[in-house]
Amino acid sequence: MSGATAVAGTVQIVGGIALAPLLPGLVQHWKARLQGRRGPTPLQPYRELRRLWGKSTVSPEGATVLYRLAPSVVGAAIMAAALVVPVAAVAPSWGIGHDALLLVGLLALARFAVAAAAWDVGTGFSLIGASRDLTLSVFVEATLVLSLAVAALLAATTDLRGIVAATAGTDVWTSPALALGALAFALVAVAETGRQPIDSPDTHLELTMIHEGPLLEYAGRDLAYLQWAAAVRHWLVLVLAAQVFLPHPREVWLQLALLPVVLIVLCAAFALVETLVAKMRVLLVPRLLAAGAISALLGIASWLVSSS
Amino acid sequence: MIGVFLFAALSAVAIGAVLVLGRRTFEGGLIVQAVGAAGVGVAGFWALASGDTLGAGFSSSFDPRFGVDGLSGLFLGTLGLIAAPALVFSLRYLEPTRRGRVIAALTADFFLALALVICARDPLTFLTGWELMTLLSATVILVARRGDRLSRQTVFNYLAVTHLGGVGTWIAILLLARADAFGGAAAISSGSGLQIVIALAALVGMGTKAGVMPLHVWLPRAHPIAPAPVSALMSGVMIKVALYGLVRVLVEWIGVLPVWFGVLVLAVGALSAVGGVVYALFQHDLKRLLALHSIENVGIIVLGLGACLILRSRGADSWAAFALGAALLHTVNHAVFKSLLFLGAGAFERAVGSLELDRIGGLLRRMPWTAGAFLVGAVAIAGLPPLNGFASEWLTLQALLHVAFYGQVGDGIAGAVALAVLAATAALAVFCFVKVVGLVLLGPPRSEASASAGEAPLPMRAAVVFLAGVCVLLGVVPGMLFGPLVGLAPWSAGLPTQTGLELPGTGSLPTVWIAVVLVGLTGGLTLLRGSRSAAPAPAWASGQRVEPALRWTSAGFTKPLRLVLEVLLRPQREIIVRSEGGVLQEVSYSGHVPQLIDERLYAPLERLSLAAAAQARRVQSGSLGTYVVYLAGLVLVLLAAARLGWL
Repeated sequence: MSGATAVAGTVQIVGGIALAPLLPGLVQHWKARLQGRRGPTPLQPYRELRRLWGKSTVSPEGATVLYRLAPSVVGAAIMAAALVVPVAAVAPSWGIGHDALLLVGLLALARFAVAAAAWDVGTGFSLIGASRDLTLSVFVEATLVLSLAVAALLAATTDLRGIVAATAGTDVWTSPALALGALAFALVAVAETGRQPIDSPDTHLELTMIHEGPLLEYAGRDLAYLQWAAAVRHWLVLVLAAQVFLPHPREVWLQLALLPVVLIVLCAAFALVETLVAKMRVLLVPRLLAAGAISALLGIASWLVSSS
Repeated sequence: MIGVFLFAALSAVAIGAVLVLGRRTFEGGLIVQAVGAAGVGVAGFWALASGDTLGAGFSSSFDPRFGVDGLSGLFLGTLGLIAAPALVFSLRYLEPTRRGRVIAALTADFFLALALVICARDPLTFLTGWELMTLLSATVILVARRGDRLSRQTVFNYLAVTHLGGVGTWIAILLLARADAFGGAAAISSGSGLQIVIALAALVGMGTKAGVMPLHVWLPRAHPIAPAPVSALMSGVMIKVALYGLVRVLVEWIGVLPVWFGVLVLAVGALSAVGGVVYALFQHDLKRLLALHSIENVGIIVLGLGACLILRSRGADSWAAFALGAALLHTVNHAVFKSLLFLGAGAFERAVGSLELDRIGGLLRRMPWTAGAFLVGAVAIAGLPPLNGFASEWLTLQALLHVAFYGQVGDGIAGAVALAVLAATAALAVFCFVKVVGLVLLGPPRSEASASAGEAPLPMRAAVVFLAGVCVLLGVVPGMLFGPLVGLAPWSAGLPTQTGLELPGTGSLPTVWIAVVLVGLTGGLTLLRGSRSAAPAPAWASGQRVEPALRWTSAGFTKPLRLVLEVLLRPQREIIVRSEGGVLQEVSYSGHVPQLIDERLYAPLERLSLAAAAQARRVQSGSLGTYVVYLAGLVLVLLAAARLGWL
């Protein structure tokens, strides 16, 4: 194993598991600043995780084993997803490979676990969140697969390491394919992380929640897992955005060196968008995502035209 | 060797079919049948693994000939794999009453008819088996639902639609036989009119039997009213046998088809996949929902088949073989989890007395084995890692991506659109099975019958648990089956046997490690979480108690999607408010999502044909004299035509 691979593997594990909560922390911190508030420190998510870790879990009456297992399943699926997404064009295989479509399956597994657990709780708040999440997931998943397909076609493989290598440099930007795919992926990134204008991570007003709704009954370490998983979702989509859908250098060491900078810039972009744009009506979100899917389709069409 | 074994196994099923007719030998007969079915399964997979051809080869002559090759072996294996647990399930599901005995005997005959189609090596035997499998399944339903008018009408619909559509099968097979190409002996030139006619006729005829949209109308009606083991065989195997015919004709026998035909198959598959799952989502009856999911899964298989055809005509032979392997792997996977779900639904129906989704609930506690196996089947059909549904959906997605990769602009975009449709379908399937799992297995019981439900008897439990085990096995080592399946493509050299799915041009799917990592991490996180837990508390519902009347229903859970898709689905609702003297007395609400294809396509067609029949009736006076005049007129016209040299 070369030095670059070892470093990339270390960054992937340490970043994906330990540093991920910093990302939503940064977004919240800057958002508060942009809105003229002092706001929490970027380390606030860690404080919450520590607080939750010391508390007991609570099961609602009548909950089954599925409710109790769901946070662990979500944690496992998201952790596996963090293993799948490499931080540079090289990465150790971790046994499970780096296939882009496996990532889609793992995200769907996490979604299934949370939504099924919502039925165990059986209240309106959890189920309204779950049913909205699943409704949007139909459009999110199609758009996600299409945007990854744009990159995969450019790279002639769905191996994310190969995709990172193939989309590096400036040559790919001479055709509009990747730019159109990036537009689609930007919408997916907002949806997967549950941020404005698709979801509102701040409100705990039950009727407006999507991702928070099914988590309402969880407490203690269960909730800690779920919150940590939400933070890792930020890591996953932002790393993909940085290393696939944004211009990045060919040199692996430069890719690794630039990654933190780009992640911070993307967090700032999230904060800016959340400050400028209000939350959309839930039922209008599918139109936005469908526009993303069409954009990715146009990207594929432009690739087909230029390659044939 | 395999041939002798297969013959013995089929004979055992036939002997069992006779034995079950006796009151005392009923159970013994079912066991003999199940052992025979298991033997057929073993022989089938054995033939697939050995790759040998047994018995006669294909011939266009009309003498009966029988044989087994790799593809037949795969479908025989699947048939046995599904039928054996279904028959064990019948041990307790069917009662040894007269009706139960006849159903058991007919089920065995149905099994033999399916085997007949798969082993047929001449056109006549093939068509005989093809018709028998329709007629026998219809007979089982009629016997099981004797005296039920609605079921009789449904069976009539089933026969009418499959026979009208089935004309296509006859046309395709007879044209193939005439061209001496049944079995692919004579090559049919690519792009010729004959090739296109055969391909279209096969797509319509066999597509009707497989339940692809818009030819599916019989399927969601007929499958739910059959007894659970027969539903499992119909959804698990019979529609797959139709796909077997389609693979034989389109992939093996008529050479390379033009690209547009592949795109047409892709379009049909995409419509079935997304249409099946969308309508399944809005069903409130478990078996009907499962039947509509069969349409979705047939759609996914047909997507793989379409990808295979396009890639083949674009010259991407290795990916064409992978696409065929993906379609066949999904065929096996769907057979396993769909029969598991149908058998589970049968067990629930026995325990609760109803399959209305809003009236079950809480069965994971009351029937842990059956419900646990059902949960595994639900996760598998939703296409989630690490189970088998994910492996074959991943392969199909890859195949569609490669359609875009190898295609020109037109078919490339078709591949990309199909890719998006399949991704959306997978998400919709997750949605649908979250609903099913939530309403049937989780939460509090939603009816008194559900609250007092008890675990199913041992044979029923054993059957579903076995099938759940197969789901896990095929999810962990799909490569063991996928390798030989790739070799079934006539142009392919096959793939070395492996555990995971390692393919060029993909990031590959080491399924064993994915399963180990997911299970290991889940276990580790559960241990780390510890068992420290506060006393259970009622769920927070803004201070209200969650009364039964406030519980969420199937319709409520799917409402956001119904609103989003309103333009496409045209849901109907009716609110009747009755007030007296300004005081509200009663509000009743009803809503449903109509099957647009039924209403917009078939209803006008039905009206038109009835009107045509009414017109035709005018010339049918019923008196002999009139018909003599008609005959005389016909003779005169023919004579005149002959005289004028038109004939």
